[in-house]
Amino acid sequence: MAEEGQVISVHTLESWKEQLQRAKDSNKLVVVDFAASWCAPCRFIAPILAEIAKLKPEVIFLKVDVDELRSVVKEWFIESIPTFLFLKDEKLVDKVVGAKKEAQKVTIEKHSSAIDC
Amino acid sequence: MAVSGFEGFEKRLELHFFGDDPAMFPLGLRKLDFESIEQVLEAVQCTVVSAVGNSYFDAYVLSESSLFVYPTKIIIKTCGTTQLLKFVLPLIHYAHHLGLTLSSCCYTRGSFIFPKAQPFPHTSFKDEVSYLQDTVPPSLCFRKASIMPSKSSSHSWHVFTATSQVPYDHHHENKLLFTMEICMTELDPILARKFFRRPEDGKSGDSAGKEMTEVTGIDEINPEALICDFAFDPCGYSMNGMDGDWYSTIHVTPEDGFSYASFECVGSVGDNVGHLLRKVVQIFRPGTMSISTTCNGYTNDMWTQMATALEPLGLKCRSRAIDQFPAAGTVVFQTFTARRKSV
Repeated sequence: MAEEGQVISVHTLESWKEQLQRAKDSNKLVVVDFAASWCAPCRFIAPILAEIAKLKPEVIFLKVDVDELRSVVKEWFIESIPTFLFLKDEKLVDKVVGAKKEAQKVTIEKHSSAIDC
Repeated sequence: MAVSGFEGFEKRLELHFFGDDPAMFPLGLRKLDFESIEQVLEAVQCTVVSAVGNSYFDAYVLSESSLFVYPTKIIIKTCGTTQLLKFVLPLIHYAHHLGLTLSSCCYTRGSFIFPKAQPFPHTSFKDEVSYLQDTVPPSLCFRKASIMPSKSSSHSWHVFTATSQVPYDHHHENKLLFTMEICMTELDPILARKFFRRPEDGKSGDSAGKEMTEVTGIDEINPEALICDFAFDPCGYSMNGMDGDWYSTIHVTPEDGFSYASFECVGSVGDNVGHLLRKVVQIFRPGTMSISTTCNGYTNDMWTQMATALEPLGLKCRSRAIDQFPAAGTVVFQTFTARRKSV
């Protein structure tokens, strides 16, 4: 699939629901990056996340702009950015608040099989 | 005291900006893109370890301390042998591109444990002031440099401030705010051991940092704050706390012989700082402690409140120096030593 190994930007509520459903149907881990275009800390982690996405095609990586999908931001109580939510079966299994190089990788490994580097 | 070791004592810079263009706000300096921040940090020989932002500001844990970016002010604090003053010119340059102009500059530091290890211009306060005099634009025409003394010649508080006539935006105009910088040395060695990584713990710096925050009780200082922490290998710890638009930051150099810990935060005058001081002392049990408070007003209560809180913890106030500085306001520098020591 063309979208595997990439971070998918979600712009609409419909698209968000669709992605979560897709993950649920295929029993995949979803990593959601809540970010903003103007947020410098978000820019710090973006390339690192893109690299991890390439190495983990079996994980779905989504990106939500906090200015666009405000209802989703409210639903998940996002107060600081970047915040990474780890969802399995539409349920929250883990969370990382802030751009921390190692924490993202470690948490992804924890909830899926190990990364082969 | 060791002959040489890591310099825990930080250099701190606070720069305020103003801008006429309403399109630049509300973000202001936060519009600085990450690549520009990295470039400026390169000049200071620091890298970003972690970063997070909330609605008020962005906080960065650096390889050598911390950086806080607000819409109209930037605070950077670095330890070791970093050339912090090299931050000023590149930042003025990038801020200019955002339509922001420097309105005030405040530089503070304690006394280095290893002064001879510092590179130029940190070779002496005279050199630092000279560098700042040349670097800060002429529009910042109200300037003052002073070394505030204590009873010990090896522990003073160095302050340089410069400001233009344009008043910078006091965010809380009716509230009196203070910034508190606490420097501690001769940490209790058993407590300091908690800031060493366990060999082969298999943890990342982030998770080891989180463990240190919890084990030491640092998370109890302000349970409301979001904490970004990091544990360095083989030892050392840094954290930034975010609570609304207030930051807090802790840095620890735990090695015996040159152990050091700093705690810095913002608060409202009138807040009871007793609880906070008690917690900090409980975590580090330092042999010596200095507290510098910078306040945009004057009130006597807070200084005495601090001495009153520390006395029952075995820390006796040895000196208090007070001075006024352009832009910063009133700076009070107090030193305390544990009663087990003779002065």
